[in-house]
Amino acid sequence: MVLKIFFPQCCNTADSGLLVGRWIPGHNSAVVLAVVHYPFIPGQVKKYLSEIQSQTQVDLAVLGSWSMPKEGQEGLDSFLKDLSTIFPQKCWLQLSREIGKRGFTCRVVQNNGTLLQDKEQKSDVDGSEEDKIILVHYDQRKVMLSQLHPVQEADQKSEIEPSELRLVFQTVAQSQPLFFLDKYDDGPLKLTHWQSEGREASIIAELLKQASVPVCICLTWLLSLWLWFCSFRILNIPPVKFITSKLSTCVQSGYRAVHFKTVFSPKKADTHMDFMRKANIFVSFLVDIALGLLLISWLYRENRISKLANTLVPVADHVAKELQQLLEWLMGAPAGLKMNKALDQVLGRFFLYHIHLWISYIHLMSPFIERILWYVGLSACLGLTFALSILSDIVALLTFHIYCFYVYGARLYCLKIYGLSSLWRLFRGKKWNVLRQRVDSCSYDLDQLFIGTLLFTILLFLLPTTALYYLVFTLLRLVVVLFQGVIHLSVDFINSFPLFAIGLRICRPYRLAEGVKFKVLCEESGSPLHLMMEINPLKCSSVLQRYRTPTYSCYPKDSWAALCKKLFVGELIYPWKQKTDKTD
Amino acid sequence: MGADSGPGAPSAVPWRKVLYERQPFPDNYVDRRFLEELRRNIRVRQYRYWAVVRETGLIAQQVSCVALFLTLWSYMEQGELEPSAVLCVCLGCALFGYGLYEVLGGASDGKRTRLADLQSAAVFLAFTFGFSPVLKTLTESVSTDTVYAMSAVMLLAHLVSFPYAQPSPPGSLSLNAALFGSVCLASRLPGALHTFTMLTCALLVFALWPCLLHRVREKADWSFPWAALLVCLAGVRGLGSLWPEGALLLSVALLMLTLLCPLLLVHLQRHKDNIHGPWDEAEIREDLSRFLN
Repeated sequence: MVLKIFFPQCCNTADSGLLVGRWIPGHNSAVVLAVVHYPFIPGQVKKYLSEIQSQTQVDLAVLGSWSMPKEGQEGLDSFLKDLSTIFPQKCWLQLSREIGKRGFTCRVVQNNGTLLQDKEQKSDVDGSEEDKIILVHYDQRKVMLSQLHPVQEADQKSEIEPSELRLVFQTVAQSQPLFFLDKYDDGPLKLTHWQSEGREASIIAELLKQASVPVCICLTWLLSLWLWFCSFRILNIPPVKFITSKLSTCVQSGYRAVHFKTVFSPKKADTHMDFMRKANIFVSFLVDIALGLLLISWLYRENRISKLANTLVPVADHVAKELQQLLEWLMGAPAGLKMNKALDQVLGRFFLYHIHLWISYIHLMSPFIERILWYVGLSACLGLTFALSILSDIVALLTFHIYCFYVYGARLYCLKIYGLSSLWRLFRGKKWNVLRQRVDSCSYDLDQLFIGTLLFTILLFLLPTTALYYLVFTLLRLVVVLFQGVIHLSVDFINSFPLFAIGLRICRPYRLAEGVKFKVLCEESGSPLHLMMEINPLKCSSVLQRYRTPTYSCYPKDSWAALCKKLFVGELIYPWKQKTDKTD
Repeated sequence: MGADSGPGAPSAVPWRKVLYERQPFPDNYVDRRFLEELRRNIRVRQYRYWAVVRETGLIAQQVSCVALFLTLWSYMEQGELEPSAVLCVCLGCALFGYGLYEVLGGASDGKRTRLADLQSAAVFLAFTFGFSPVLKTLTESVSTDTVYAMSAVMLLAHLVSFPYAQPSPPGSLSLNAALFGSVCLASRLPGALHTFTMLTCALLVFALWPCLLHRVREKADWSFPWAALLVCLAGVRGLGSLWPEGALLLSVALLMLTLLCPLLLVHLQRHKDNIHGPWDEAEIREDLSRFLN
């Protein structure tokens, strides 16, 4: 069997003493956590260990002895052997350093009955593989702070037996209270282990944590007020609810409320994932606010609002004019296509009247636009996402005429396509059997056949005209949808990007570990193999994938093929339709 | 048949045409008795010449109907026929035909009442009259040649897909094709009333006339050849007043259809050789997918 001893780097130069740590159950390996220096009273050591054990739920034990040769401390060997009788264990490790050598030797004394066996010596003599000892050095701080992925929370009992490495990580992370004992503290015991350098900063952090609790409670109360306001019946009756679900500002504020609910819950984040979610949401919220304030500081300087308002009306006017020209072109003979003149005229006049209505509406609005923009711009202090959502809504409102045209065109076209497809079946003497979901032959009456053929002819000859109108307005609509889609995507990006996790990955790569790699430190005959354990950081892509804040939203509902089919058949498309809430 | 004359086959055990016994013959072996069950021409009907000529009258009169319809359209387009007059004639024909239909049918089938007939007529008249202005402008921007080609194809499709064996409810496809073609043609006419008239005529010629003819054939079989001959003559005469060479062509075509084609059929019937026997026809369906892997 190979015996693995995980040894902290900070104890390399410690004075002689006792090794405190834990035997990993089920594996032939031990984790050394600290060194207790001479002089000590064995009873106090035992008492201290049992105290720590009750705090951390880790079964700590004295693993063996550690000897660091110094001048005047020569005859310790026999003393070290005697120690094993004071702290009875199944195995007793004897680690010792010699002056002038890099590696240190290790002996394992098995203590079953009176048999004392020097394993190291034996393995040297036999050269057999089975009794090797490997010393794995680890950085105690990094291992303590890092989180091994995939995350297995302590409280959820999974079927999979945790691996040896995971057990090592858990042992080090859980025995954090052991490391609180300072080097300069006056106590009955002197220990060597990793200890925090910045006590003062951690005091400030602790104070902030304490202070955040009342703030959280206060904000939760405000949030519940807001939710109470949202649950008014008047906001949930059909037309209002429909409109609010279509306005992206309202949707965004809904997300924000849910985010705040997560962040400001006064409960402590127990698990790693909870903590990361809270931190991610909080950091992206801060960044969002900062970007929004930046936008405000740019927008309200040099009278930019009024400039914007002064350009907005002419732009809308210009768009309407362009549309008018487009319609006039369509009413002629566009691209030499053969359109039905009468239907063409009817449709063209209908749409022209709409544009006329639209222009008068814009002109009615124009005196107020600057003021509206001024107030709307203030919303950016709620965050950039709000400003973007409001921009999206404004675009949707300003291009409402295009949407209307699209809907009329699509409805007409859809009617024609469906009519033609069913009349084509009638033309061939077939019909669609609803019960069997197939086309059956059918004998029609004379008058049915006659009227069906008449309608079929009419629809067939009118189809190109409708299709052209539909095509043009669909293209216009797609441009608007594309613009809104880009805005939605950026809002979604800000909402869901795991900024905190990415920052952690960049600044403290060891915090999110995917695994470990070993480097050979020294390999000499006569001393065991020394390995250095380094932490493999998680890949950035998997950080993104794992810590993305789930949003309820905004992905194209259809695949491209389904979208094309819908466009062809003339069904209305809303590519940025929200999915139904997860809570429902 | 290579397997037929297997030299190594001992005649001690007689061969039986079964697969469930092990026999001392190769799997593909058959003996002399195999061809005894061969039958030839068991389902061939022997035609008599004049009976076939009589049947072809239906086809000939349908072709003539199309010619008659085209003649009528041509006159209407040139403005030589008043639509109101044509409508009156159509109405008279329809009433006469309906009366004849009722007289011949009697109480033989009571499926459709008078009220249902009246309803159908009303629906048809209302729809056609309402849609005729729309139909008139329908193909305005389509070029005339396209319209002609489309109607020609459609009328041809009507003739090809007409259910000559069972013409009483005219087949959907043939009737629809004919109506589509007539709508295309009618949309070229100068006025909305012209369109309406043309569609009425189309309905009479393509939908109601086959029903009447079928009824006539069922009840008074002797009159069917005369009716067909009458229609053919009318078609040739009408086309002749408009385009004499066309009339000549049509009459030649009709004669070939009624006299020459049956002669050919009866003559070729002698050469018919169908074999039937107790075998399955081999069907080679190679599964190529195993070569792909």
